[in-house]
Amino acid sequence: MRHPFMAAALAAAWAATGPAAAQTAELDQIRKDIQELRNSYESRIKALEDKLKDAEAAARTAQEAAARAETSATEAQSAAARGEAPTAPGGMTQQSSKSAFNPAISLILNGTWGRFGDDPSTRITGFAPSGGEVIPGRGGSLGESELFLSANIDPYFRGALLAALTPENTVEVEEAFFETLALGQGFTAKGGRFFSGVGYFNQVHPHAWDFADPSLVQNAFLGRNYGDDGAQLRWVAPLPVLVQFGVELGKGREFPGAGEVERNRNGAESQVFFANVGGDIGVSSAYQVGASHLRQRTATDGSAFLDYDDITGTSNLFQGRQRIDGLNFVYKWSPDGNPKYRNFKFVTEWFQRRYDGDFTFDTTGVAATDAMNAKQSGWYAQAIYQFMPYWRVGGRYDRLSHGNVGLNTNAANLTPPDFDPTRYSVMLDWNPSEYSRIRLQYNRDRSRQDLASGETITDNQLFLQYIFSLGAHGAHRF
Amino acid sequence: MKSRIKLLLAALSLLIAGTAHAAIEVFACSPEWGALTGEIAGNRAAVFVATTALQDIHRIQARPSLIARARTAALVVCTGADLEVGWMSMVQSQSGNDRIQLGKPGFLEVANFVPRIDIAGSVDRALGDVHPLGNPHIQFGPRQIQLAAEELTRRLVRIDPAGEGEYRARLADFTSRWSAATQRWLQLGAPLKGVTVIQHHKNFSYLFDFLGMRQVGSLEPKPGVEPTSAHLSELAEQQKIEPARLIVRASYQSPSASDWLAQRIKVPAIMLPATVGGSEGAKDLFSLYDDCIRRLLAAASG
Repeated sequence: MRHPFMAAALAAAWAATGPAAAQTAELDQIRKDIQELRNSYESRIKALEDKLKDAEAAARTAQEAAARAETSATEAQSAAARGEAPTAPGGMTQQSSKSAFNPAISLILNGTWGRFGDDPSTRITGFAPSGGEVIPGRGGSLGESELFLSANIDPYFRGALLAALTPENTVEVEEAFFETLALGQGFTAKGGRFFSGVGYFNQVHPHAWDFADPSLVQNAFLGRNYGDDGAQLRWVAPLPVLVQFGVELGKGREFPGAGEVERNRNGAESQVFFANVGGDIGVSSAYQVGASHLRQRTATDGSAFLDYDDITGTSNLFQGRQRIDGLNFVYKWSPDGNPKYRNFKFVTEWFQRRYDGDFTFDTTGVAATDAMNAKQSGWYAQAIYQFMPYWRVGGRYDRLSHGNVGLNTNAANLTPPDFDPTRYSVMLDWNPSEYSRIRLQYNRDRSRQDLASGETITDNQLFLQYIFSLGAHGAHRF
Repeated sequence: MKSRIKLLLAALSLLIAGTAHAAIEVFACSPEWGALTGEIAGNRAAVFVATTALQDIHRIQARPSLIARARTAALVVCTGADLEVGWMSMVQSQSGNDRIQLGKPGFLEVANFVPRIDIAGSVDRALGDVHPLGNPHIQFGPRQIQLAAEELTRRLVRIDPAGEGEYRARLADFTSRWSAATQRWLQLGAPLKGVTVIQHHKNFSYLFDFLGMRQVGSLEPKPGVEPTSAHLSELAEQQKIEPARLIVRASYQSPSASDWLAQRIKVPAIMLPATVGGSEGAKDLFSLYDDCIRRLLAAASG
């Protein structure tokens, strides 16, 4: 009984091991197949994973795109306006939320600690005050906090508001304008209240200034940022170098147009014309040359010419035409055109102001009126050098020329001082990021005379200033 | 006299015909998009490239020449994802050109059409110059370039429908060359798989992802913030735990930080072209990748 069973078992065992060679080959084949299968699955899985990754990223892209008012929302909106499908990846429709259309908001905080030898409120001698001067105060003082909001209104217009919260707890509308996006052919129109295209620095917002205070000539002729309520039309020529022309019509809201008297007239009493030419010099340098002309007529009731020489204490009046001509030049350099590590900037501006009209001396007293013809000018030059990342050093020289002030018979009442104000400034600033700046500045100011003795005051001024930008990253002008 | 007038007329008509068939003007924010436009549009486009590989594109200014070139452009090709946030919107608003405003087919922000990495979950300026829309240095993602080429073709066709056939043919040609090149780069770069690397700024994250390399740190303590000695010392310490085999900087970045760290931790520091034109070898998109991978291989094997 046992043997036949054993034999069968042996036979079975033989049957199992008999074709061993053939089986090994088969097993190898199976292994190979499995390996191949695994490889192909791995690659397919990898491909699927990649696809999933892409899809996830695309979904994320679509979500963000929707959450971003400035790009996709407007893109989709304008596409919809043109009757097109949105251009999101994979043709995905874009979601929207109310906050997605919020304007870009940025807030500037700034403050100064100032040290003056002389009373900083004493005016530049021999020049009618522009009324908009910026003079940092003595000791610690908060500067104006700027709140800037801007967004595209629709595919055709962009809007912006710049509000200044003053340390005196008031709110000033510095700029509030719309600008066209769709005129084309190089034309852009702007309307509302905006900083004028006169000069170069006039359009630069205070947080982007290279010094804590504006140039003497800017302070004396135009004030902080001369702006008007009106309209501007600009045109850029279709050339490989920048050739730009602009014209502005305004009501003459600010000095030098209005002075202290509120204007109450129809029509555009103030006109500005400007032209800019600019381009590159090789890859490392860029330049811009500008010319501008501002002309205004004072209101019929005249423009208050307060206390012209700061001595007589009289209230005076000017009635007539005022013109300001300006020339400016800007040059910027950086190695290979990369300003990251080192860069250099040079700016110079020249202005000439002319008055032609009638001058009334002492409106409340003798009220002597005679013709007035004045021609005064001023210029500054400044150079800023970033010598290593985060650190910039700069110098500036200011000079005003008292020129000719013809007062005719009023010369007996008022003697324009024979004095040319000057000032030297040096500054060092530290910019730990694009959003913060801490600056130390020294001015050797000789822009004022002692009112009693007529001697020039040499005032040593020191400023420590901070400027911080919060929120949206704005794009700056050249 | 008559023949002269005839000649003049002929010359004039030639001139007019010449301008009628003039190439469309394309404003490329950076050299990679200039190169890609060249691939797809050939002679149909006259390309102006606004920046070079030696410039930090985050820090460009709205120079007069850029405004002038944007004025006449029919198409602006930029990266987007906030890379050009400091200057492009100013160039657009100053240009007076309605064709290149946001939402028009003439304004292409490539990043909107490709998958992006490093999308920050939370953003705050205390974290440095983070890009809430993800890493914008997409020129080093082969797939990103392919998607960019496809969107660019769509835009070119819309702007210049007469050239559709040529654009599509060129795209097909580019696609086959690019996918072949992508395969080649994978093989060429195979030895780089798993190689650990420290980069100056996250310029090459897409390339490292593609090659399977591992980033173990940045020289910048925070995005956009220049390397500090404290942070470099930290990186040197980290070398004990997670050693890096390479230090990489882009062509526009100063070598001082990477050289300092290289000496300290005894690993090679190399420069890679930030984009087309950043090195002798990087003449177009293809050679940009070739050059980068070659430089990485040479440094990793050395």
